[in-house]
Amino acid sequence: MTGETESSKRWDPDGRDAFYAELDHPADLFLEVWGADLPTLFENALFALYDQLAEITDFGTAHAETIKVEGPSAADALRALLSEALYRFSTGGFVAARAAVSVEQAGSGLQVSAELHGEKADPTRHTLLSEVKAVTYHQLLVVQEPEGGWRATVLFDV
Amino acid sequence: MASPVPQQVSEWTWELPATGAMRVPGLVYADHKLMELLSDDQSLTQVANVAQLPGILCRSLAMPDIHYGYGFPIGGVAAFGVDDGVVSPGGVGYDINCGCRLMATDLEEKDVKGKMPKLIDQLFRDVPSGVGASGAIAKLSRAGLEEVLVKGAAWAVEHGYGSKDDLQRTEDGGALPGADPEAISDRAYARGLDQVGTLGSGNHFLEVQTVDKVFDAQAAAVYGLREGQITVMVHCGSRGFGYQVCEDNLETMGQASRRYEFDLPDRQLACAPVGSPEGKRYLAAMACAANYAWANRQMIMHLTEQAILHALRLSPKDLNLRLVYDVAHNIAKLETHEVAGSPVKTCVHRKGATRAFAPGRPEVPAEYREVGQPVLIPGDMGTASFVCKGSAEAMRQTFGSTCHGAGRVMSRSQALKRAQGRAIDRELQSAGIVVRAHGRKTLAEEMPEAYKDVERVVAVMDGAGISPRVARLRPLGVVKG
Repeated sequence: MTGETESSKRWDPDGRDAFYAELDHPADLFLEVWGADLPTLFENALFALYDQLAEITDFGTAHAETIKVEGPSAADALRALLSEALYRFSTGGFVAARAAVSVEQAGSGLQVSAELHGEKADPTRHTLLSEVKAVTYHQLLVVQEPEGGWRATVLFDV
Repeated sequence: MASPVPQQVSEWTWELPATGAMRVPGLVYADHKLMELLSDDQSLTQVANVAQLPGILCRSLAMPDIHYGYGFPIGGVAAFGVDDGVVSPGGVGYDINCGCRLMATDLEEKDVKGKMPKLIDQLFRDVPSGVGASGAIAKLSRAGLEEVLVKGAAWAVEHGYGSKDDLQRTEDGGALPGADPEAISDRAYARGLDQVGTLGSGNHFLEVQTVDKVFDAQAAAVYGLREGQITVMVHCGSRGFGYQVCEDNLETMGQASRRYEFDLPDRQLACAPVGSPEGKRYLAAMACAANYAWANRQMIMHLTEQAILHALRLSPKDLNLRLVYDVAHNIAKLETHEVAGSPVKTCVHRKGATRAFAPGRPEVPAEYREVGQPVLIPGDMGTASFVCKGSAEAMRQTFGSTCHGAGRVMSRSQALKRAQGRAIDRELQSAGIVVRAHGRKTLAEEMPEAYKDVERVVAVMDGAGISPRVARLRPLGVVKG
């Protein structure tokens, strides 16, 4: 379940239906994310978060940031990764338009490293869409599908 | 766990019998129509989940604006014994002390007629709103922020933003005791430094209203409200600071729950005994966030006053903007309540629920004590808000609590679909409501159809005698984040 994604091209929001979908929830933002392998799943989850926060096609990719997190399970590692990305957006305005993720086994848990390429949001040039308050633990799930591939559900407080 | 089956036990209440791991029954306040809305979501399961937590007293309660949240339902009230119960950050939520503040003026509807677009534009400019809104005042130093966390609304008043009377008319005087700046992470400090005095985004708003109908003339007079008067309401909370406090403590509470061997049906219900190191630390940090929110709403009141004076070219004396009351609706409080005939020290969690204390309670400001605590229930963007009053019935039935708003009934994505091809701002305009918002998306997500009927929600709590109606406030103009 370890590996890494290729950081070759920026995310295309027109293709979002292939990466994630919004599940029904009366108040919060409940997302289902898919990926062929675990690193791709994590990368697609990052895309889903940034796609909700901002019009990511407006963003350049000149600035790079690295996020490293650990978790006792894939679900915890995913939540930690998204939570860190959200923290950096909240404090420094950083929005990524592409990313490469690597996942390694660390003891009984997982170590995730994400190389993000994006830029700081500038209200005069960029469109911010929704405030996301937090990444919750509610119905947090990462599973390997019987027919292959991985699936995650994450509920964001908005 | 299968969705529990509610059984109607009175005209306004439905019981979820204690089954499985539930320590107490659940009790939902609703009418038939509101109950039907709950049949296809998981909020009743969440009421039952909360009933499983250690030390829960009497019942796991749900107000008629209940909807599916994370962990606790929104619209949930649960009290735990201080000696044998727990405190849970998930029972408060991320936006700690999200709440509502109502201001009265000496203006009448005729005084703002034709001036609403100008007034709302000015408020939109002067009160920072939207995603990541900041910079209402100069960025605070860490020491400055620490002072905010301890003093709450009094910090703003000391700096010239408001008067001492405002503090009397704020729940807990605008500052919870026990706030400990040492319990706050560097991350929360980083997020809090430049957001005091900002509205934020989502369902938060600043609204100019008129008193549309008075139901209880005596209470309205005591609260200083009369028909035709212009009022202003603000709905917001502790911004990124509060979200970070919740996040930090959920992590430690998750570990604590495992250590105390709590068998939790949902990770978001992570909790610790009230008196444990983790429990005390959370309450100390939560008090900081609550105080941040009170300082925030006090600052917003000042910015609001300045904006109105400027837009309408009035003197402060002519406007006479004054605080009616300020209530929290996402909070955990240490309160003494009567349980089975004896006073018991409790930790009451109100997540999307408002305190509604009875006449005579010392916590109610002296000037309002004869009629009970003002309860502020904001509606959604296009509909009315309500002022109600606390009651002895609330003390008996709901640990002195009531509903907090309309409650969502439609997901944001459904609302976006429903709004396609429509101009929600123009629809509101033709209904006589001027709206300014940062994005069309927020407007669509927050459209009136996405919410339950607030009149119906308020009528349930009025009918049950928990929070009788005092006045209805009709929106004239709204600033949305």
